[in-house]
Amino acid sequence: MPPLKPKLDGAPMKDTPTSFALPVVSDKAEAAHDHDHNDVVGEALDHAAAHSVQSEGAYGKTYWRSLEEKLGQPEYLEETRPEFPVGADLAPTGVARREFMQLLGASLALAGATACSTRPVDERMIPYTRTPPEMVPGNPLHYASGMTFGGHTSGLLITAREGRPIKVEGNPQHPVNLGAAGPFEQAFLLSLYDPQRARVLRYRKEPRSLRTFGEDIGTVIARAAQENGGARVRFLTEPNASPVHGDLRARIQSRLPNAKFVTYTSVTQDPANEGTNAVFGTPATPVYDFTKANVVVSLDADFLESRPANLAYARAFARRRDPAEGSLNRLYVAEPRYSLTGGMADHRLRAKSQEVLAIAAAIASRVGGTAAGLGAAASAKAQLNAAHQKWVDAVAADLRGAAGRSLVVAGERQPAAVHALAAAINAALDNVGQTVRYVAPVVTENTQASGLRPLVEELNNGGVDVLVITSWNPVYSTPADLGLRKALSPENPNRNKVTVVYTSLFEDETSAYADWFIPAAHELEAWSDGRSADGTVTVVQPLIQPLYNGVPTSELLALFLGEPYRSSYQILRDFWRGRSAALADFETAWETWVSVGIVPDTASPAVTAAANPDAARAVVEAYTPPASGGLEVNFVTDYKVFDGQFANMSWLQELPDPISKITWDNAAYVSPATAEAEKLQPGDKVKLTTRTGSLEVPVWIIPGIADGVIVLPLGYGRTGLFETVAKEVGFNANLVRSVDAPWFEGGARLEKVKATHKFALTQSHWRTEGRPIALDMPVEQFRHEQELEKKNASPLLFRVRGDVEKANLMPDFKYEDYKWAMAIDLARCTGCAACVVACQSENNIPVVGKEQVSRSREMQWLRIDRYFSGQELHDPEMVMQPVACVHCEKAPCEYVCPVNATVHSDEGLNDMVYNRCVGTRYCSNNCPYKVRRFNYLHYTADKTPTQKMQMNPDVTVRNRGVMEKCTYCVQRIERVRIKARVEKRPIFEKELQTACQQTCPTEAIVFGTLSDPNAQVTKHHNDERAYKLLNELGTKPRTAHLIRLRNPNPALAAAKPAGGSHEGGH
Amino acid sequence: MAYVRSPFVTNQNRPIEQPIEFDHRHHAGDEQIDCRYCHFSVEKSPSAGIPSTTVCMSCHAQVWNKSPYLTLVRQAYFTDQPIPWVRVHNLPDFVYFNHAIHVAKGVGCVTCHGRVDQMAAIEQYQPLTMQWCLDCHRNPKPNLRPQEFITSMTWQPPEKHEEAAQLADSLAEQYDVHSRTSCTTCHR
Repeated sequence: MPPLKPKLDGAPMKDTPTSFALPVVSDKAEAAHDHDHNDVVGEALDHAAAHSVQSEGAYGKTYWRSLEEKLGQPEYLEETRPEFPVGADLAPTGVARREFMQLLGASLALAGATACSTRPVDERMIPYTRTPPEMVPGNPLHYASGMTFGGHTSGLLITAREGRPIKVEGNPQHPVNLGAAGPFEQAFLLSLYDPQRARVLRYRKEPRSLRTFGEDIGTVIARAAQENGGARVRFLTEPNASPVHGDLRARIQSRLPNAKFVTYTSVTQDPANEGTNAVFGTPATPVYDFTKANVVVSLDADFLESRPANLAYARAFARRRDPAEGSLNRLYVAEPRYSLTGGMADHRLRAKSQEVLAIAAAIASRVGGTAAGLGAAASAKAQLNAAHQKWVDAVAADLRGAAGRSLVVAGERQPAAVHALAAAINAALDNVGQTVRYVAPVVTENTQASGLRPLVEELNNGGVDVLVITSWNPVYSTPADLGLRKALSPENPNRNKVTVVYTSLFEDETSAYADWFIPAAHELEAWSDGRSADGTVTVVQPLIQPLYNGVPTSELLALFLGEPYRSSYQILRDFWRGRSAALADFETAWETWVSVGIVPDTASPAVTAAANPDAARAVVEAYTPPASGGLEVNFVTDYKVFDGQFANMSWLQELPDPISKITWDNAAYVSPATAEAEKLQPGDKVKLTTRTGSLEVPVWIIPGIADGVIVLPLGYGRTGLFETVAKEVGFNANLVRSVDAPWFEGGARLEKVKATHKFALTQSHWRTEGRPIALDMPVEQFRHEQELEKKNASPLLFRVRGDVEKANLMPDFKYEDYKWAMAIDLARCTGCAACVVACQSENNIPVVGKEQVSRSREMQWLRIDRYFSGQELHDPEMVMQPVACVHCEKAPCEYVCPVNATVHSDEGLNDMVYNRCVGTRYCSNNCPYKVRRFNYLHYTADKTPTQKMQMNPDVTVRNRGVMEKCTYCVQRIERVRIKARVEKRPIFEKELQTACQQTCPTEAIVFGTLSDPNAQVTKHHNDERAYKLLNELGTKPRTAHLIRLRNPNPALAAAKPAGGSHEGGH
Repeated sequence: MAYVRSPFVTNQNRPIEQPIEFDHRHHAGDEQIDCRYCHFSVEKSPSAGIPSTTVCMSCHAQVWNKSPYLTLVRQAYFTDQPIPWVRVHNLPDFVYFNHAIHVAKGVGCVTCHGRVDQMAAIEQYQPLTMQWCLDCHRNPKPNLRPQEFITSMTWQPPEKHEEAAQLADSLAEQYDVHSRTSCTTCHR
């Protein structure tokens, strides 16, 4: 049988040129013969400045996207490297196309539009027998619902067309979502329609009916209840975020008083609860108000992206980065790897995870007040790295200066002691009640892997008869040294004593060890509820009947009650009716809750206990530092697949990682200095050994990671039988992770093995040639440039926004009505990539697979460029820049199309007409922004009926040989325009949003018409920070970008030698 | 070119056999039932809407409720199985036609669909080629009619040329009719 996947090891495929797309990795084999010295990293350290690509004179600051570019390696220079990666126009090889298509899961595949002129025989129209009253065929309907993961529920608004959910948005009325959604929510639909979802309820290998299962388990449970109160029954669940599941659980517990519920999820709030418990005497969840904080310190907290409250935080934080909305805040981040939050920092400190405690302690000591005692106690446990002293002093001084207007945030990867210190510092600075308040946590139970140890022991001793697993895939997601896999496998001599019941959307790693497997209903197929980070209850409403015979979790749990069958709707409604006995009119209230999506007044109560930092000394003293020596290995949840539960969503697999820009993979990330010390090149495979085990994994080098640190994202290396998208993509970090140190530990070793791995990166696709593309600068410098600009003396600002109205042979267009335009604020953009997935979902954009990505054939219309900036190789700053078609008023693509397939509209849109396109690709060649995407292959062939259901019917599905690109969501414009024109009124600004704009947590993307002087987009276009990409070409883009301003602390900026020089030139 | 635009290729004037012998001559002609009674979403949706079986039964539960012609309708209704009508006006998938806006701007049903009240089985009356669409999109005025006659099968513009032009001008202004010929008006 031919291999189903492109080869994963470094050996180049037979007929693929060795040099395609990945200069470093793939050229290596060849280059190694030519030169005896090919040490990328060493060269970097020796000759960084001398070899670096010189930016153009006017600009004064270097921006670079990869080490190779920074170092000006020959691969990067024009003479040796063609504009397009070699092989970009070859047909796929190595994998038969059909098999390749099968791999791609739900996302691929959208209905093919045939441009046939003859009459298709007998196309049928199937009307309703009874049209539902709310339904007008052809118009979308929107329903509030939710998505639960990691013990929290995100409030969503789902668009449905004729009963098919086709798009996910954030629920604007939800207190956390505020209308925004992250990449996970955007990709939620894929798991609903995924043809690889489990559809057979089975006992071992025999299919069974739900009724058989109900009778079987009912008998067992009834006997257990009578004999010993269920003493040998165990439930392994997700953290309970759902009131209705909580109720079911309580009732199961009362029927089986001796049964035990164990909870597990990958990202737990346990350390936070423990830390706050020590300080306040009760567990508390901090709720931050970033709008009031002038100084924010993050102690390894990725609060802009880590769930569950990040969407609201990101919005509030972003408002403080826009000078038009008030003074800028200042963000300090201490972290081991480049996170999205770190990328937004004004001052970022690279520190090992284990050093964060010492940093927190030192800040607490210097802030003083009530935090001093705890700080001193913690300082005794952890010695501050001398190199961090200056940073800590500056941060503490800044914090003291902003008492009551500052904020210290601790990350969930950090131990309880750090959370206690953060709470103590906030209390000492009088921030409580100002920038932070504390509420009762949604989840208080132990949800860590360590809580599973007694269960595993019981399984090994034969102490369990029935184990019901509703938690997501614990065999995969728990650290290997827990031994859950072994306890459930036939290796366990007592395995035959236990009946394992498992429910999941997919047949995965855990289902392989289950006796009973129950296919689960998707959340969009069943009724349930859940709580968000602040406690607000979301009603999770189904949009569609179960596609694959899935069983709702609440109906499954109800089987253990021995009651007559009730549907998930009845269970939920009966529960809320019982809970709302005080309400006079439950019916109306219920209808409102369901339609709005939230139950009012359900936010968690505030914790009013006063902080007593000294009470937390016990927690600090109980802290045991990880093993010193060796390298520190860090585990992080992945920005794309989280802990692996979204790994079968191909939109997310193909999304470039926000920092590394790697698709379809994970890697062990190390800093340039670590790589040099270990003599590693990017793509080298290493054997990573921790005390738990060892793993062969390729390394990738990213600047900005702390030295001596390995960062390994979770969620890859899946081996589930039927999750074919996720299967064998990347490397399983859980194999080297331990229960005691789930997030970081010392003493890791790297050993080079003789193999390389080929990554598919998008970061080096499309080059910038050192032009000023993404702009960021300190406020001071910006003001200075502005002064110069007035005197016509700022070459930089002149270049990016000067008047370039030179002789232009192209005709001027007259715009009489709307003038559609977009503005993207780089100061707000965190680079989370929710917009990319939203665009993919809205516009039926196909997924192409790893091999195609490595040939630069990725199809996402919107890309987010990540630039490192500054001369400093180890510790650069980072800028994110979303770029899609900028809809030039003088568009280079339009002039070269021989068939008029891309033309100008009367409102300034650069229209792309698929049915005219013959695929010459002249337009793409002539596009200076490189935003056009070409269908090299028929990426949308071979789709299953369920996959077709997920397509947006308002957007043409493109065929092979057709060019496509961002349309400013023209289907949305036209729908809103027709509605407005039927109603004889102009389009309101609020009713028209592009998909990327709608989902953006930080409101970085704004869309509207320049013909309205009061529109937000017009204000942004006239903003002092606005500039146009490649303004000097005279293309007159309709998308403006806004310069990102940094707000450095003068004390720190002056003290940092690199900082002084790299901002220089002026 | 003559061949590809011939009615043979554009499928004009070819009555299409339907699973049920529904006769527009009777419903729209003899009974004078307004088009919008059955095609109820024509004013608010891109699609004019194929009526659900309930709409048929709203009358035929009372009249002709034992007719053998309607056996299939009753069967469809009581078994809750939709009737698979055959599509007559079939635009390519990359064309997004919207009924609501055309009706709102004064383009009558008969303009595109012809004298439905004289068709035993529905046939395609106009060529539905892009050229034909553009003819009207470039100059919509000759095809406008007052809203009150939007579904009328027999309304004719005034015979005198000047009067017709005057009416067209006033309707275009009253309904705020634009000539829209940008590609994305129809192709998205």
